[in-house]
Amino acid sequence: MIETFDDLARTEESESIELVFPARADLVVLARFTAATIAARAGFDVEEIEDLRLAVDELCVSFGPMDDRACIRMELGRSDDTVTIVASFDQVPSPAAGGAAKTLDAVSWEQAIELSERLLDSLTDAHGRETRAGRPTAWLRKRHAAADR
Amino acid sequence: MTGRVATEQEAQEGSFYEFARTRDPALRDELIAANLDLARQLARRFANRGEPQDDLVQVASLALVKAVDRFDPDRGVAFSSFAVTSIVGELKRHFRDRGWAVRAPRRIQELYLELGHHIEQLSQELGRAPNVVELAKASNSSVDAVLEALEAGRGYRTSSLDAPDRDDQTLAESLGSDDPQFIHVDDRSVLARALQGLSERDQFILRLRFVDGLTQSEIAARLKVSQMQISRLLAASLQSLREAFAEQGPSEE
Repeated sequence: MIETFDDLARTEESESIELVFPARADLVVLARFTAATIAARAGFDVEEIEDLRLAVDELCVSFGPMDDRACIRMELGRSDDTVTIVASFDQVPSPAAGGAAKTLDAVSWEQAIELSERLLDSLTDAHGRETRAGRPTAWLRKRHAAADR
Repeated sequence: MTGRVATEQEAQEGSFYEFARTRDPALRDELIAANLDLARQLARRFANRGEPQDDLVQVASLALVKAVDRFDPDRGVAFSSFAVTSIVGELKRHFRDRGWAVRAPRRIQELYLELGHHIEQLSQELGRAPNVVELAKASNSSVDAVLEALEAGRGYRTSSLDAPDRDDQTLAESLGSDDPQFIHVDDRSVLARALQGLSERDQFILRLRFVDGLTQSEIAARLKVSQMQISRLLAASLQSLREAFAEQGPSEE
């Protein structure tokens, strides 16, 4: 029976969960729910959890418009009081579409990324974008603030 | 029917004929006041469905006012029958517009609404936002159920700008006057441009959170609404911004 935060945190010192799902907006709930569950185990308060949910949304849209011909691979990890999420985008080539997903024009794309980064600045402790193993990847790290007090 | 009630109804019927002829504002107020109990009774019949009772009474009262204005005594229908139909229709519409956009199980809906009270109470007691275990304990629920309810809360429609929250003050009133500096904080910023597609309220809340760096609780305290309401509004606003980008991008540059 989980009655205190210590009981919850004690369930595991650290953990890592991997999710792979089609890049569809209605499936991002899976990532939000998993992130919230891990954050709860790290002792995050409800506001921090809400911020993390918003940040997960931003990570998922940072690859461009959702397209279920592609998939999002997400690794969610907790170590003590810190949650780390790494999301990468696996494009599935489609001959009919010439292998290209729906794309934004360059200006809109830059603006969308700028907005996402601005939001992630507020919602997380650190975040970044890079290419890993040839795949566009975005990551974030958020620490339970009370751990600093 | 007692003689006294019959006399009152006859007197009211006479008043409606007079109001239909004169449109006298004082008589209108009298007719509204004389039927307010009916509005309250009907609002009570819709209680415990997840909406604050004060909101329901207000919806029913406004429907009563409309019914008084629209009632035609020449049609041969008693005002009470006409008013009941009008008020119940308005209450049903209110639930349709304010209820759950995405259907969540009833226990989750109820838990979500209950959590709002616990978050507020625990935040005051603890001097910080509660964690999930504390919420689970306060609501006598499991941690999983609390997490499920918080996620499901996204399916709960955001309140109207004119819907009263705490202290009977609407969110629109609490925003105060326009802050001309808000939009022009940084005209070059993509955020500032994207924000202009949102309502004044949503822009203001986004600015408080992402420009001024206030927490959800601090924004809630400033606007005299709940933290959960701010959470829903933020999520909905960011969703709108994403959709704007996905469709055309925020700038015509």
